[in-house]
Amino acid sequence: MNLLELESLSVRFGGHLAVSDVSMRVEGGRVSGLIGPNGAGKTTTFNAICGVVTPSSGRVSLGGKDISKVGTHKRARLGIGRTFQRLEVFSSLTVRENIQVGLEIRKSWSRRSAALPQYLADGGDPKPEDEINLILERLDLGPLADQPVGALPTGHARLVELGRALAARPSILLLDEPASGLDDAETDIFGDLLITLAANGLGILLVEHDVALVMRVCSYLSVLDFGQVIASGTPEDVRSNEAVLSAYLGTAPAPDTAEYAGIDLADFPPEAGS
Amino acid sequence: MDKFLIFTIAGLSTAAIYAIAASGLVVTYTTSGIFNFAHGAFSMMAAFMYWQVHMGWGVPALPAFLLVVFVIGPAFGAMVERGIMRGIEGATDVVKIVVTISLMIALIGISMVIWKPDVARPVPAFFEGQKVTIFNTVVNYQRLMAMLIAIAVAIGLRLIFKKTRLGVAMRAVVDDRGLLQLNGGRPSRTSMMAWALGSGMAALSGVLIASEQTLSATTLTLLFINAYAVAVVGRLRSLPGAFLGAVILGLLESYAIGYIPQDAMLGPISLQSSKNAIPAVMLFVVIMLQPQDRLRAHGVSRRSSGSKPVAQRVALVGGAAFILVVAGLGSLMSLTDLNLVTTGFYLAIVTLSLVPLTGYAGQISLAQLTFTGIGAVAMATWGANGSLVGVALAVGVCAVVGGIVAFPALRLSGIYLALATAAFALFCSAMFFNQVDVMPGGNRQVPRLQIGPLSINSDFRQLVLLAVVFAGIGNLLVLLRRSAWGRRLTAMKDSPVACATLGLNLTSTKVGVFALSAAIAGAAGAISGRTFLADTLTLPGSLSVTMLAVVGGIGSVAGAFFGGMLLGAFPIGATIFAANAIGIFGFVAVSVKDILVFSPGMMGVSLGSDPDGAAPQIALGFRSVANSVPALVTTAVGATAIWALAKFDSIGNWSFFAAEMVFIFGVVPLLPLLFAPAQVHGRRIATAIWLTLGVLMAALIPWDTAITSTGLRVIVIFVFLFLVARTAIGIFGVNPLDEGGAAQVELVSPDMFGLDRPLTRADALDAERGLGLQDELLVLTASDSAGMLRGAGQQSSAGVTA
Repeated sequence: MNLLELESLSVRFGGHLAVSDVSMRVEGGRVSGLIGPNGAGKTTTFNAICGVVTPSSGRVSLGGKDISKVGTHKRARLGIGRTFQRLEVFSSLTVRENIQVGLEIRKSWSRRSAALPQYLADGGDPKPEDEINLILERLDLGPLADQPVGALPTGHARLVELGRALAARPSILLLDEPASGLDDAETDIFGDLLITLAANGLGILLVEHDVALVMRVCSYLSVLDFGQVIASGTPEDVRSNEAVLSAYLGTAPAPDTAEYAGIDLADFPPEAGS
Repeated sequence: MDKFLIFTIAGLSTAAIYAIAASGLVVTYTTSGIFNFAHGAFSMMAAFMYWQVHMGWGVPALPAFLLVVFVIGPAFGAMVERGIMRGIEGATDVVKIVVTISLMIALIGISMVIWKPDVARPVPAFFEGQKVTIFNTVVNYQRLMAMLIAIAVAIGLRLIFKKTRLGVAMRAVVDDRGLLQLNGGRPSRTSMMAWALGSGMAALSGVLIASEQTLSATTLTLLFINAYAVAVVGRLRSLPGAFLGAVILGLLESYAIGYIPQDAMLGPISLQSSKNAIPAVMLFVVIMLQPQDRLRAHGVSRRSSGSKPVAQRVALVGGAAFILVVAGLGSLMSLTDLNLVTTGFYLAIVTLSLVPLTGYAGQISLAQLTFTGIGAVAMATWGANGSLVGVALAVGVCAVVGGIVAFPALRLSGIYLALATAAFALFCSAMFFNQVDVMPGGNRQVPRLQIGPLSINSDFRQLVLLAVVFAGIGNLLVLLRRSAWGRRLTAMKDSPVACATLGLNLTSTKVGVFALSAAIAGAAGAISGRTFLADTLTLPGSLSVTMLAVVGGIGSVAGAFFGGMLLGAFPIGATIFAANAIGIFGFVAVSVKDILVFSPGMMGVSLGSDPDGAAPQIALGFRSVANSVPALVTTAVGATAIWALAKFDSIGNWSFFAAEMVFIFGVVPLLPLLFAPAQVHGRRIATAIWLTLGVLMAALIPWDTAITSTGLRVIVIFVFLFLVARTAIGIFGVNPLDEGGAAQVELVSPDMFGLDRPLTRADALDAERGLGLQDELLVLTASDSAGMLRGAGQQSSAGVTA
């Protein structure tokens, strides 16, 4: 149940091939990253995984079972959760109610009173209010619990979306730019949270533009450009990959080097005798 | 074979007209995202206009044709776009549908006022009398002309959309208005042209049909609703699809006339009016064949929708108060008035049925009266002695039927549900309510209830029963709203795609809400205890219900009641005011009744500016009263005292009405301010004296005898009320409505804090000029600018953490 596989997935919109022959694995217990320039097809890939968009070829399978023809809500019930690039919070409800709705919807289709997944707590099946409080605490949303989400800054609203997705107890979580809107300190805490969730069994597929975060948190990366995977591997492999550098990461020198300042070191030969 | 050819050609010529009408609909829908329910009314107006120009003013046929189709029609469309459509472009489906429906009803009303229905207006065909023989069949020129014009329209539209700049701009403007602007397009002009084009085609189809049908506002409009069924075949976006659909429908209808004998029966069902049901059936079939709609993830607006659910306590108290008020008023009325009110009161429960569906879930139904009728018939059939079993069966049947009707449409977007329910209403009018077994003689009496030993045998008891049921269902709905189910509905309205990714089956949830709504409407019919006429259980009737419910403020039970009251009040008002007329500049004598006929439509049209409806606005004025105990006590005591005076005949009924009006709308809103300890500065004593005087005057003036005309009497009372209230505010020094306004804070993204006052439009323009952008490119639409400017300005509130 904890393995999501994409095999030669392609998505076509009219004449435009948005995603082309993409294959990847997302396993429980680690954070996989999906990076690439804007328009590369990352969100479309997410949409194909969730069933929001129908692939023109290839397949999506979860735990070995082909789910390419399964409807969105059924895929969610099989364990796929997600957040959205453009906020899809319930802006009429408060933070607490957003998470509560996630929990109540899960209760409406989940017959078995399952124990909390390990990534949320150590076993036990808490009462709904406790589970909501637990999620609020993990995401540091406690003080904001009774605010209407429509009034929150984007960064916090994204965390609410994450909390809501967690309330549904997914086994694979797709996160679409969850850290956009968070400042450096908040991003650090968020990165730690993701590492902890993954360490406790959740499989995460992360789309992010914050390269530092991605490099720190992900154990495996796929790089997308113009709908195709141009590189995949560990962060170290990908970081030095030529194709990736030219397509996305860039070849500009780091800010604290002479090159960056425009100084040619040849103009300053070392002093004789030093 | 000859017969087949005759009917084929007849079918094709009707198809031509449907095709032209449907094309206009598709053009406006694809370029603005607004499905124009009033499109048929445009055609109807054009038909009447043509009659006026050609027959009324004697202009020859060809110039009249050109004038109506190429000048008046497009001009009207452009006007409508500018005045109405532009304002609702970004609004929810519900608002768009209700505004266009209201426009349709308004136009029907206006047409009936200008061209009185009691006069026949025949229009001669084009090329009168000239015929041509094709394949041994005689075809008259007009029909041939219609077919040729349809082909020309098809070719012309294809050329416009694929080859001209305007056409491309039209296709772009619906995708991204702002982007079009940045690329040098002029969206406002493009939209206007699109509506002019669509309206021109509506005019064309109207003029073409004018000679073949009697000019009757309602019938013609309903005829063009067939064009909607045709457009659906093309999924509302494809012109070739619409043409195909037109051919199918035209031929089917023609063969039905030709081959189904008048007295044909399908088992016990008479097929007499089956021709009228064909468009509805076709619409259903097409909707069922559509694949499920894609979920769209396009981000939610930050503005929160609707009002917070009311506390259960408040609902209980409100319900009890409501019952008391109704009983109190009922005990005062004369028997005829009581009968009048009781007959119409069920409508309040019908509008209540829309609260869960439209108010909570944001879906629209145009068939509530149809479900009411089904409930009534079920009760009459199975609850003959007023037994409650009949009510239960009626409710059950309606729920099941509702689920079946809604299921195919709910897989698709909101507009399809509106169309499916409209089709259902038309189908039942044509094939169900006119069956002899269902409504013998065109009417059916619903027996009044017998609850154990209690027999509802008087109008007064029936009225109280209806009030009790209304309060009961109202409380149930509030309970549901506050439950997990209610939260889920709000969530679904805010972001359906998020709900789907959480595992919620959207379709079954929506079907459940629809079934509940149909059940409540059925219950209204089952307990109404009145006689229903088949003629009133029609689509236009249901349209009015939906429209007034939304105008009243569908998000809340109170709003639904307000809408229901309006619905009931208009026909009552029409009866009361039947004899009064208002002269306008001495030329046109418009009777008050006529104004009442099209004013519901006008009210609906104004919804664009306030989607939440009227009730919340009025509620704002009274909100502070609910929080002030002395104010509440005074209200209760005062209102009861006035009632007591009337009950014991110390004052006449009209004085009672006047006194209560002045008390409720003049005195009560000011009570919180009068009681507030030193928080607000004002001349309390003086205001209190003035208000008491106002109420006493209202009670003591002999309205009945001083003013003979009823209409004038009501108007004078309202003017009196206005003067008392306005003067009181003046004396006091503070306007309570301003308080209400400040309480309504727009939820704002603190991403933009730092601004300490609301931006005005002038500020925005200054900024734009400062950036070096040209004025013309930056004409913001009303909804964009209002939202942005209002949102950007509010001071960030204290709850935001760093």
